[in-house]
Amino acid sequence: MVLLLLMIVLAVTVACTPLLDRLLGRNAGWPISAVFLGLTLLVALQAPQVLGAGEPLEFSRPWMPQIGVDLHLRMDGLGWLFTMLVTGIGSLIMAYSTRYFPPGRRLGFYFLMSLFAMAMTGLVLADDVVLLFVFWELTTIASFYLIGLSGVSADRPAIRTFLLTAMGGLALLAAVVLLIVRTGTSRLSVILADTSWTQDTGFTSLVAVLVATAVFTKSAQFPFHYWLPDAMAASTPVSAYLHAAAMVKAGIYLAMRFTPAFGDLLLWNTLLITLGLTTAVIGAVFALQQHDLKRLAAFSTVSQLGFLVAVIGVGTPAALVAAAVHTVAHALFKSALFMVVGLVDIQTGTRDLRRLGGLRKRMPVTATVAALSALSMAGIPPLLGFISKENLFESLIHAPGPAWFGPVAGIVAVGAAAFTFAYSFRFVYGAFWGQPRGEDEESTATEARSSFWLPAITASLGGLLLGLTVPALDPLVNEVALNATHQSADAHLLLWHGFNAALGMSALAIGLGALLSWRSRSGEALAGRDLVPVTGVGVFEALYDGVIRAGKRTGDLTRTDSPAFHLGAPTIVMVVLAAVVAVAGLGLPPVAGQTALGLDWLLVGLMAVAVGSAVVTRSRMAGLALVGVAGFTVALWLFFLGAFDVALTQLLVEILTVVIAVLVLRRLPEKFHTVKRSRTVLTAAIAIGAGLSTGAAAYALTGRREISAAGEYFLSNAPDDTGGTNVVNTILVDYRALDTFGELVVLGVAGLIIIAVLHSSGLLPVHASRRVTVAESNAAYSANDNTVLMRTVGRFLMPLLVLWSMYLLLRGHNEPGGGFIAGLVGGSGFALLYLAASSDTRARIRLAYPAIIAAGVLVAAFSGFLGYADGSFLKPLHAEIPLAWGGYFHFTTALIFDVGVYLAVVGVLLTALNELGLDQGSGRRAKPREADAEQHPPALSSDEDTSALDGSTTGGNR
Amino acid sequence: MTLAITIGIMVAGGVYLMLQRGMVRIVFGLILVGHAVNLLIMSAGGVGRRDLPLLQFGTALTAGDPLPQAFVLTAIVIAFSIAIYMLTLAASGSDDDTEDAS
Repeated sequence: MVLLLLMIVLAVTVACTPLLDRLLGRNAGWPISAVFLGLTLLVALQAPQVLGAGEPLEFSRPWMPQIGVDLHLRMDGLGWLFTMLVTGIGSLIMAYSTRYFPPGRRLGFYFLMSLFAMAMTGLVLADDVVLLFVFWELTTIASFYLIGLSGVSADRPAIRTFLLTAMGGLALLAAVVLLIVRTGTSRLSVILADTSWTQDTGFTSLVAVLVATAVFTKSAQFPFHYWLPDAMAASTPVSAYLHAAAMVKAGIYLAMRFTPAFGDLLLWNTLLITLGLTTAVIGAVFALQQHDLKRLAAFSTVSQLGFLVAVIGVGTPAALVAAAVHTVAHALFKSALFMVVGLVDIQTGTRDLRRLGGLRKRMPVTATVAALSALSMAGIPPLLGFISKENLFESLIHAPGPAWFGPVAGIVAVGAAAFTFAYSFRFVYGAFWGQPRGEDEESTATEARSSFWLPAITASLGGLLLGLTVPALDPLVNEVALNATHQSADAHLLLWHGFNAALGMSALAIGLGALLSWRSRSGEALAGRDLVPVTGVGVFEALYDGVIRAGKRTGDLTRTDSPAFHLGAPTIVMVVLAAVVAVAGLGLPPVAGQTALGLDWLLVGLMAVAVGSAVVTRSRMAGLALVGVAGFTVALWLFFLGAFDVALTQLLVEILTVVIAVLVLRRLPEKFHTVKRSRTVLTAAIAIGAGLSTGAAAYALTGRREISAAGEYFLSNAPDDTGGTNVVNTILVDYRALDTFGELVVLGVAGLIIIAVLHSSGLLPVHASRRVTVAESNAAYSANDNTVLMRTVGRFLMPLLVLWSMYLLLRGHNEPGGGFIAGLVGGSGFALLYLAASSDTRARIRLAYPAIIAAGVLVAAFSGFLGYADGSFLKPLHAEIPLAWGGYFHFTTALIFDVGVYLAVVGVLLTALNELGLDQGSGRRAKPREADAEQHPPALSSDEDTSALDGSTTGGNR
Repeated sequence: MTLAITIGIMVAGGVYLMLQRGMVRIVFGLILVGHAVNLLIMSAGGVGRRDLPLLQFGTALTAGDPLPQAFVLTAIVIAFSIAIYMLTLAASGSDDDTEDAS
C-alpha cells in the first residue's frame, strides 16, 4: 500500500501544480518540496522492513490483463535507494527553485518537474518491463520539455537530447520485447531470477548490448556523452535535478538492476568497464578545460557517471557496494555544485570563470558549500566521496577478464581521478579564491538570502555527515549489492581501512591532481583549447542532416506535382495484378440467385451513355450534369437493389453536389484544357484496363454466396435488440455506432478544412467568361425583380423542408429516414435560399456553422458517454415514454446520436454554401474586404437590392 | 452480371477523368470511382435478394443484406464531403486552367 500511496501522492502533486502555480507563483515550489520531503520520510520509514529484514514492498494491480502486463511495483533495497534520491534531492531542488526564478508564475516548470519526479519514481519501482519502459520514456519526454522551456536557443539542444535518449529508449524496448518473448512473462523480478535464458550466451549478449545502449544514452556515456553538456541549455534547477541527480541515474539504475543477468557476461563487463573509463577520462579532461562553471559541472557529471558505469561493469558484490555508495555521494555533491552554479549565476550575473574570482569574502556560505562538495568530488577524507572512490579503485583493480585488465583499469581510473581533483580545484579556486577579475556586478555581488542557499548547504553537509558516520550505510549498500548481484556482499564501510592498494591509489590521484593543477595554473593553460577535431554536437548535426538529405533523395525518386502520376501508378499496378490473377485462374463457386433482371439493362445503358458523354465533353457544366446523371443512375440502382435509405441519400447528395459544384464552377473557365492526343490514348488505355479488371473482379468475386451471417443476424434480431425496424438505420446508430461516429467526425473535419483552406488561400473571383453583361433596358437586368417568384416560394418552402427533415429524423429508426437523410433534406432547404437569392455579396444564412458542426460531434459523443450507464461507449439506452393520447413512444439514446449526425451534416452543408456561395467567399470578409471597401465604396459595400449593378452573374442567372 | 458491367463502365470513365489535367476533372473522376466502389460493396452483399430491409413493410426472408447498405450510406456522405472539399481546392488559390505546365 505504501507504494500505491507514493505514486498517488506524486500524481496528485502533478495535478495540483496548476492550482499551486496560480495561487503562489514561483513559491509553488515550497508545498511541492514539503510533499517530497514527506515522501522521503515515508520511504525512510520503510527501511527496517526493506533493508533490515530484506523483504521488498510489493504492489500489484491488473493493467492490461489481456497481454499479461500488470501494474507491478516493487521496492527492494535498490529501489529504496533510488526512490530516496529522487524524492530527497527533489525536495531540495524544489525549495531551491522558489528563489532561483524571479517572481512570477512557473507552471510549465513545476508541472514538468513533478511529472518527472513521478516518472522517475515509477521507473525505479516498476517490476514489469513494459511499465519500466513506459516510465523510462516519460522521463525522456519530461526532460525534452524541461530543456525546451528555456526559450528558442534551447530548441536544438532539446531536440538533440530527445532524439539521442529516445534512441536508447528504442534499444530498451527491443530488449524488453526479446525478454518477454523468451521468458513468457513481463515481470522484471521473475525475468531476472530466471536462469534459463542467461545460459544462452548469444541471446544474452544481444539483450546485454541493447540494455547497455539504453544505459549509455541515458547516462551520457561515450560516444553519446555530449548530450549532457548540450542539455545545459536548461535552467539550473533542471540541470541539478535531471542532469545530475536523477535522470542520468536512470541508466545507472538499469545497469545495476540487470547485473544479476549480465554480471558474469564478459562482453557486458568489458563493454561497461572500457566505455565507462573512457567516459571518465574524457569527461574529466574536458571538465578541466571549461570556462563556464555549468559546463564544467556537466562534464564532471559525465566523468563521474563513467566511473559508476565502469564499476557496475565489474559486477562483483563489492563493486556494486562501491557503485551504491558513489551514487549517493555523487547525487549529494553534484546537486549541491549545480545549486552553487545557480547561486553564483544569479548573484553575480555570470558563470564565466574568466570574470569570476574572489567571491569567498562576499559569498562565504556559497564558498563553503562549493568547497565541501568539491572536496567530496575530489575524494578527500573524511567526506563520503573519499570512501566511494576508495571502493571504486578497490573494485576496479579486481575487474574480471585477463590478468592485466584490472591493474590497467586501476591506472586509468587513477588518471581520471587526478583530473577530477584538478577540475574540482579549478571550480572552487577559480570562482571563490584569487582576485575578482570582472569589473562591475561580479565584484559587488553579495551573499544570497538564506532560503536560497539552504538547500545547497543541506546537500553538501549530507555528504560530510554520511562520510563521518559511514558504517550507518552498511545495511543499505549490502542490501543493494544483494539485490543487484543476488550474492551477499557483507561489506563494512569505514573511513580508515588501513594501508592498502586503494589508499595508495587515492593518495596518488590526489598528488597527481595537485601537480596537474599547479602545472596547468588550475586548468587555465588547457582551457578553451580544441583537443579533438570534432565535437559531439557537430557529429550529431552532420548525421542528422545526412539522414534528412537521404530521405529527401529517396523522396525525390517519386516526387512530382502531377496528380496523374500519383493516381496512375497504383491503378496500373492493380490492373497488372488483376491480369496475373486472371491468367492464373480462380476456382469460382456458381452464381447464387438471379443476378440480372431485365430492367437492369436499362440502367446499364443509361450509365454507359452518361459516362461515355462525361469523358468526351469539354464543357465543365456539361461534365457536371453528366456526372450527375451517372449519380442518379446509381441511385436508381440502389432502389433496384432494395436499398431504399441508401438510394434516398444518394439522390439528395447528387442534388447538393450539383448545387455546390455550380458555386465553384462559375469561378472557373467554361472549357476544360485541351489534351494532347498521346495523353488521351495512354490514359484511355489505362482506364479501359481498370474498367475491365474491376468489372471482371466484381463479376467473379461477388454475388456467389448467400446472405452474410452478419446480415442475417441483423435482419432477425434488430427489432428485439434495438426496438427499430429500419435495419439499416439500426446498424448505423445502434450496432455500429462507433463507425458512424468516426465518419461523422471526418465529415465535420472536412467542413472545417474547407473553412481553413479558404481563409488561408482565398477563393477565386467569378471567372471573367462567366460574367454576363446585360443592358439596363433588358428585362433580365434586375436580378431582384427576376427572383421574386423563387424567393417567395423559397420563403415558404424552406421552413417546410426543415420541419420535414425533423420528421424524417424522428422516424428514422423504423421507416426510411434517419440523421444522414434528414440532415441532407434540411441542408437542401438552406441551399434553396442560396439559389433563390438575388445577389451573392451577402451571406444568406448567419448561423455559426462551425459551431453547428462541433455541436453535432459533441451531441453524438454525449450520447456515447450516456452508454457508459449501461456498460460501454455508445451503447443505446431505451425507455418507453407514455403518450398523452395513449400508447407509448419508444425513446432510445440512439436518437440523440442521430441528432448529432443531423447537426454535423447540416453544419457541413451550411459551411460549403456560405464559404463558396459568396462572391469573394466569407474567408476574405474580415480584412481585405474593408481595405477594398475604402477604395471602391459603392460597388462592394452596397446593399442586397442594389448590388446587382456590378454586372456579374447574379442570383437568378446562376 | 449487370451490376458488374455498370461498375466496370464507371471505373473506366472515372479513371480516365482522374488521369486528366485540372482539378475539376479529377474530382469528377473521383466521384465516379466512388460511386463504383459503393456499388461494388452492394454487389458484395449479393444482388439475389432485393427486398427492403424495412421490417414493418416486408419479411426478413427476402430482404437484401442490410450491412453493405449501412456501409454505403455513410460512404456516400463521406465521399460527398471529400468531393466538396476537393472542389473547394479547385476554386481556391490559383486558377485550375493554367496551360503552361505539362
